[in-house]
Amino acid sequence: MDFTWSDQQKELLDAVGRFASQQLNYNMIENDRDGVFNHDAWKKCGAFGIQGLLVPAEYGGLGMDPLTTVAALERLGYACKDNGLIFSINAHMWTAITPLVYSGSEAQKKKYLPGLCDGTLIGGNAMSEPNSGSDAFSLSTTAVKKDSKYILNGSKIFITNGPVADVLVVFATLDKARGPNGISAFLVDKDSPGMDVARKLEKMGLRTSPMAEVFFENCEVPEENLLGKEGSGPSQFTWAMTWERGCILASAVGSMQRLLERCVRYAKERKQFGQPIAKFQLVASKIVDMKLRVESARHMLYHCAWLRGHGKSAYLEAAMTKLHISDCWIKCCEDAIQIHGGYGYMTEYELERELRDAIGSKLYSGTSEMQRNIIGSLLL
Amino acid sequence: MKILVSFKSVADPNEATLAGAAASAAKSVINPFDEIAIEEALQIRERGDAVEIVAVTIGAPAVEEQVRAALAMGVDRAIRIDDSRALDPYAVARILRAVVEKEVPQVVIMGKQAVDDDSNQVGQMLAGLLGWPQATFVSKVEFLDNKTRARCTRETDAGLEVVAIDLPAVITTDLRLNQPRYVSLPGLIKARRRPIETLTCNELRVEVRPLTTVLSIANPPKRAAGTRVDSVEELIAKLRQEAKVL
Repeated sequence: MDFTWSDQQKELLDAVGRFASQQLNYNMIENDRDGVFNHDAWKKCGAFGIQGLLVPAEYGGLGMDPLTTVAALERLGYACKDNGLIFSINAHMWTAITPLVYSGSEAQKKKYLPGLCDGTLIGGNAMSEPNSGSDAFSLSTTAVKKDSKYILNGSKIFITNGPVADVLVVFATLDKARGPNGISAFLVDKDSPGMDVARKLEKMGLRTSPMAEVFFENCEVPEENLLGKEGSGPSQFTWAMTWERGCILASAVGSMQRLLERCVRYAKERKQFGQPIAKFQLVASKIVDMKLRVESARHMLYHCAWLRGHGKSAYLEAAMTKLHISDCWIKCCEDAIQIHGGYGYMTEYELERELRDAIGSKLYSGTSEMQRNIIGSLLL
Repeated sequence: MKILVSFKSVADPNEATLAGAAASAAKSVINPFDEIAIEEALQIRERGDAVEIVAVTIGAPAVEEQVRAALAMGVDRAIRIDDSRALDPYAVARILRAVVEKEVPQVVIMGKQAVDDDSNQVGQMLAGLLGWPQATFVSKVEFLDNKTRARCTRETDAGLEVVAIDLPAVITTDLRLNQPRYVSLPGLIKARRRPIETLTCNELRVEVRPLTTVLSIANPPKRAAGTRVDSVEELIAKLRQEAKVL
């Protein structure tokens, strides 16, 4: 494994950093407070090339390898402080774009991917239901084939990008008796008759990433919008989730690096008892912990992406990467606040927001407990 | 109409605040005023007033990263004059004159100054060497009379001065002329496949030697810390005896 960047990769990563730091960091505190999705920044990211990093060039993407992609997202997380925007981009990339690339028909790819890459379309994924979370395949939203259409009925919750999405990948069962094998995925366009984005959900962090509850009441989906084959829902979902787990926290590694650098600067500048607080071993020890976390997180992230890039299975590694980085990120945020003392607790210092943004990482894409279940089941 | 845009690579003025303590050696970027010049040329082409934009810079092979950035922004061709010496403004202007004579543009646009040495001389010297009109510190450009003249708004201390100049001419850009577009990843990837023409001073038949020598560069002296006085009497005494202002 070689994680040294070529000159071309360096140029690309620097371009991401420059773009993100100059174009995306504005109205952070206000947008977090008011729960505002920065649509303009979304479009800029699309035009710049973020959303299409992994998508083959023939469908409007850049056709990057997984390692370069996670490094670009890491740099995005380093230079852009809008974790909610980045979370929305991640949801879009891993749960809408990836299933399309993996199992979309040629017509579906041509119809959706260029717009999903260039920022004109926003995608999302509707799996979770009020009574089906970690036990995802127990879902009860139904699909019934009627002439040339599927009719969807049911409700979905915690739908990231729901309030702004142009297309959702919706999972529903054609035959509850067949268990997971009855589940299929459908591309549902916004404003489809019978689909209702019911209410925007308020949440603790990632407040600039909009989330909604979505209802389907005799929602008509044209048969050509079936994604993959009937009953292929579980394999698509598992495939997308493995991608997501391995990559969704790339930006968290960038965020940790940013926090570490900020804490190092602050610990050297801030004086108490006549000396910089960096001289106090309890402060230095926290910074050492932060450094260890960011480095170990980065190595797991790169390793997992490297496996993917070499066509190897990364099911175990993706679960470990997700579990480890989410844990590291939250602890880094806590340490960053602690090092900054009372200032760290103040909204204007933009550290408490980072912690609120980080907490969700133990919940989405499978809770930490589910990651442990996966890892345990593969070991035992 | 053909536009020649010249630009300089400078140390990234945002780098210190961007990467903070872990920043490696300063990265180079296109001089921000020159980036505005490139953007203006692109906008002139987009509104149909120009057919070709040629970008030119002077430097060692390392500046090709900035040349690719210019290509990625959208210039049609790029030339690097291979010269790694520290050149003074007059030398740069003489090299650019040779490029102008080779390329025969109707307009040369560049930043009013580079943010590293703040010389603010190349545009003026180039216009002088060519015997062309010049409009400096420009915040607005329009072309008149079938593109034989340009109306330029200049930012001066006295206010906005509007001048008309005959083409060909040299225009130098001020901060408020436009907001440069950012280089996109697809643009960057495409730019990698495009050729960069390389020329030397020999090939341009121009011999330059510096007229100025930089003797030293140092930070300005730090301002000494102030002192606190306990009484008006003490203040007056210090102003009399130490500051000698009373």
